[in-house]
Amino acid sequence: MATTTEQATRTASTRTTPITPSFFKAMFAVVQKDLAAELRSRELLSAMLVFSMLVILIFNFALELEPDIRRKVTAGVLWATFAFAGTLGLNRSMAIEKDRGCMDGLLLAPVDRAAIYFGKVISNLAFMLIVEAIVLPMYGVLYGVNLFQPGLLGVILLGSIGYSSVGTLISTMTVQTRTRDVLLPILLFPIIIPVLLASVKASGGILSGAEFSEILTPLNLLIVYDVIFIAIAFMVFDFVVEE
Amino acid sequence: MFLETIPDTSGYMIAGYVIAFVTMGIYVASMYIRSRNLKQDLSTLESMDNEHKSKAKRK
Amino acid sequence: MQSKPLALTILDVVSIIVLAISAYLALFFAPTEAVMGQVQRVFYFHVGTAWVGLLGFLFAAITGIVYLVTKDLKWDRVEVAAVEVSLVFFFITIVLGSIWARPAWNTWWTWDPRLTTAAITELIYIAYFMLRQSIEDPERRARFGAVYTLLGGISAPITFMVIRLFRTIHPVVIGNQSAAAQGGFDMTSDMKVAFFFALFTFTVIFVDLFWHRIRLGDLQDKVEQLRLKVSM
Repeated sequence: MATTTEQATRTASTRTTPITPSFFKAMFAVVQKDLAAELRSRELLSAMLVFSMLVILIFNFALELEPDIRRKVTAGVLWATFAFAGTLGLNRSMAIEKDRGCMDGLLLAPVDRAAIYFGKVISNLAFMLIVEAIVLPMYGVLYGVNLFQPGLLGVILLGSIGYSSVGTLISTMTVQTRTRDVLLPILLFPIIIPVLLASVKASGGILSGAEFSEILTPLNLLIVYDVIFIAIAFMVFDFVVEE
Repeated sequence: MFLETIPDTSGYMIAGYVIAFVTMGIYVASMYIRSRNLKQDLSTLESMDNEHKSKAKRK
Repeated sequence: MQSKPLALTILDVVSIIVLAISAYLALFFAPTEAVMGQVQRVFYFHVGTAWVGLLGFLFAAITGIVYLVTKDLKWDRVEVAAVEVSLVFFFITIVLGSIWARPAWNTWWTWDPRLTTAAITELIYIAYFMLRQSIEDPERRARFGAVYTLLGGISAPITFMVIRLFRTIHPVVIGNQSAAAQGGFDMTSDMKVAFFFALFTFTVIFVDLFWHRIRLGDLQDKVEQLRLKVSM
């Protein structure tokens, strides 16, 4: 019982610390560490990339991507690819923390837990965006569609923010369980469905040249989802890293 | 597709109510079995605990 | 805790009685609906179970928050009980909905917002149990469970909103009419009696089962404690 109260007070004390320059310093330190480690090993990005290519390849055969079908399903195929590749990245990035004991070190460091959370979100987001930045032109070349439209890139950014903010929270939980790799998609996908749906709708609208007013609804929903879930994750992250 | 007469859909209705009652029944039964097993565990553990205590006393 | 409280026994009996009355009202008292026929009678139980299912999930999210604040494992047991009972009722809801959809819309399943959200919600809470199963430490299990019910409780309404917004732009058309047009009907006063009584019935049954499930959780906890004590 004593430890619980201790934890509670510790939680309370970290919670009350205001967002200071040291918060951003800690956050960027986490990002920097992840990016530097990845730059050296490149195992995460290469796995995500190859996996994405394979998913697109499978969709190509599974859906018989004829030109007229292609136009309708491009948004769906892209988001399914990102969603699947994303779980690979999340799993790996959190498993590294856990297995090498980095997580304990991070948690022992006298920084706000929220800084660690946002640091992880940013680095996971960065990995996702890098993969997307390579997958998009690839898909564009393979199927002869122009995917470099500012609106589409904006939607992809918003969707990826929602995905990685929830994904980071859930993968932090799943790495601490027995069946971790298996559990992540099972826990993540039902929660993330609003993001995927809104993203697919918005991307599809942009690709088919719809009016801005038509994609405004999914776009708003994406923003609302992002804001709500970042706020929630910020509030509950302390609870998923407590020891 | 408006039909003039009332279609006979009682088969579906019966199936629906059967499933509803069976599901609830299964759930109640599962709770009963779980609690019975737990009670058995509890009594075994309690007797083990008592043995433990009496042994400790003898020593 | 060992002996069953009298109130619970009374509640058990009341549940059975109201369930029987509710079944009578739904099956015999309420008039047969003109367009869909007898199958419309599943409606009463369908809505009744859906109502308590949602109630339970909402309750689970709230108890999750209470657990995170108080760190008292008692609330975790309440949360599990709420999720489990709701899962059972929601399963009935979905199956009844599907059975109703078959003759009414000529399909077992429509990707209508309510049906889809119900299925996703069910999946969220199945995932919840899978999460719990793969964690041994009870305190951590409770924490993660609470966080996940909270996430699920917020995500499910957003999912519903998102799907509904898009389906209104592109209505699902089955046969010649939209799902909404064909699913609707006017309730006569007798139907309303059966309807509201079904809501009441399932609320009573829910409370009853919920109580039993909490007691089961307490028992489980007690056995666990004793097991630790004996093995030491």
